[in-house]
Amino acid sequence: MNMHKLLASISKEAKIIIRDREALLLLFVMPLAFVLIMSLAMRDAFKEKGRVIFPIVILDMDGGRVGREIINAFSNTKYFRVDTSPNNEERVREDISRGNHKFAVIIPAETTRKAVSRAKAQMGTTNYKQAGALSIRLMADPTIQAVHRSIVISSLNRILQGIETKMLIEQFAAIAEEATGINIGIQQGEAAKIIRIFSEVTDEYTGSAGGNAMPTSVQQSVPAWSLFAMFFLVIPLSVAFIKEKQQGSLLRLKSMPVPAWVVLAGKMIPYFVINQLQFVFMMLVGMYLLPFLGGDALEIGNGPGGIALLTISASSAAIGYGLLIATFCKTSEQATTLGGTSVIIFGAIGGIMVPKFVMPSFMQKLTVISPMSWGLEGFIDIFVRGGNINNVLPEASMLFLFATVCFSIAALRFRFMFR
Amino acid sequence: MNSEIIIEVEGLYKTYPGAAQPAVNGISLAIRRGGFFGLLGPNGAGKTTFLSMLTGLLKPDSGRMRIAGLDIIDNLNEIKHRLSFVPQDTALYPTLTAGENLAFFGSMQGLSGSSLRMRIEECLNISDLNNFADSRVDTFSGGMKRRLSLVIGLVNKPDILFLDEPTVGIDPQSRHFIYNTLRKMNAEGMTIIYTSHYMEEAEALCDYIAIIDHGSVIAQGEIGHLLSQHGAANLEQLFLALTGTRIRE
Repeated sequence: MNMHKLLASISKEAKIIIRDREALLLLFVMPLAFVLIMSLAMRDAFKEKGRVIFPIVILDMDGGRVGREIINAFSNTKYFRVDTSPNNEERVREDISRGNHKFAVIIPAETTRKAVSRAKAQMGTTNYKQAGALSIRLMADPTIQAVHRSIVISSLNRILQGIETKMLIEQFAAIAEEATGINIGIQQGEAAKIIRIFSEVTDEYTGSAGGNAMPTSVQQSVPAWSLFAMFFLVIPLSVAFIKEKQQGSLLRLKSMPVPAWVVLAGKMIPYFVINQLQFVFMMLVGMYLLPFLGGDALEIGNGPGGIALLTISASSAAIGYGLLIATFCKTSEQATTLGGTSVIIFGAIGGIMVPKFVMPSFMQKLTVISPMSWGLEGFIDIFVRGGNINNVLPEASMLFLFATVCFSIAALRFRFMFR
Repeated sequence: MNSEIIIEVEGLYKTYPGAAQPAVNGISLAIRRGGFFGLLGPNGAGKTTFLSMLTGLLKPDSGRMRIAGLDIIDNLNEIKHRLSFVPQDTALYPTLTAGENLAFFGSMQGLSGSSLRMRIEECLNISDLNNFADSRVDTFSGGMKRRLSLVIGLVNKPDILFLDEPTVGIDPQSRHFIYNTLRKMNAEGMTIIYTSHYMEEAEALCDYIAIIDHGSVIAQGEIGHLLSQHGAANLEQLFLALTGTRIRE
């Protein structure tokens, strides 16, 4: 008998939800918009698994060996995107000031000749006065973050030091050959053949399945905004509950032979289904719509059990929190304000709006107070670090604990109201 | 009329937390099976609190309440199957249709399958809303909502029907329709307990009334008897004579 009442209650709630177009728009279109905007807007910032790619213009007015080596050195790393097409310094300066270019390396004419002369001067075979001053300049968009500017400056200095070292070796070899008569085998301009003592430093991540620890913008945005949307259900859930109280239908139900758990479960189950549909919808957007719009495709790893556990636990937490808000607020305005604001704060603290890895360390520590952060960490464990159901057990447990605490308080309050 | 007592109340008290005075202050009364009982009183007199305790919505601080010989507190679930409560608000789901509202509340009353479908049909007939079964309630007039609210109270064919001001704010036609429906249900044996501020309505419908003020019953009995006892020409005169003319908030 109670099962029939439960089914009737679920059916009633589902009809009310389906007919509330504004709430459905809020629950599905809002996260869709956020995922599309944030994934595409932050695509480059997360590019190549979270590595920052610096676009850089190189204006080579030297045309000699130094210019070529600088261009090759920048082109051969995965951190720079080199553009050598501009050929006029004034134009480059103008483009930088307009924000069309971010960085420009200016290699003046005669750089190679002067560099060789200065290398010879270093070896004492000529003097510095004859060699002349030599300066390679870096222009940067003033809006560029200081840390990014420092990275490019140090990269340019490292490249120049490399060229200097090679030129000095060549000069040293020439002097040694002349003094000893032994052919060392390094001709002018050939020091590049010298084998490096240290191989190129590579960054290594330690995911469970050897994956990259940094998410792409899509791997960050899709689960983040899906969780945000799941928690945003707090608003329609609590408003529906309060309306039921205000319209008197809850009072009528109280006078009927209906257990309180039937009323509560009848509300929770349809919202749980909505949460699951939200998540599946967002996954499909990440996997199929975003690549179609020029973004990266969402890679979801190989942990379907973990994904299911996280969506169930996150949904339980969201619904428990919604019921808590619903049972303590007296008006729908209160529920909308308290529910909406607290969800936005959870999102801001929990790394939804600003990715956790760009936060300063004290803010990263603060993320642990947000249930959305637990969910997001769990999804990143699976999507990015190649984790499975075992890896997300701590996060899922935290979400279930949060759900249990919220639900217990809400149920006590509801039983008190329903008594 | 059947003289069997269906509702017995003895020494009922209820004080809300923080309130200086009790909302219900020692009410004792008896209601006959098949009676049409009016519970009258000024605003804040304790009518709704008393009705809420009789329908199991509120626990009394002390006192005894029995329905058909069963203690209400101890047998609440069993008693809930026998009664129905029509609240002061229409208490409907605005985005559901009339049929869906009836189906939902009917299911909550324990009806299912063909018996539920049959009762929905009957209730739509009683309320004259057959042509609006599939229309959403938020498109209804105030009178249509009241009629629907009333028949939701009849869906489980209760022995006792409690109504809290069922005709507030509706047009004369719908009010007339509700009078007739209630008279018909009462004639078929249903015990009706209702509260109202409309004295003419109570005089026309009820065979027995209780006037409550400050949580206590200040007069109860058959209307004719009470009028002659207090030398009043009508119920309104009697009511004002007993409760005063001071406006209550």
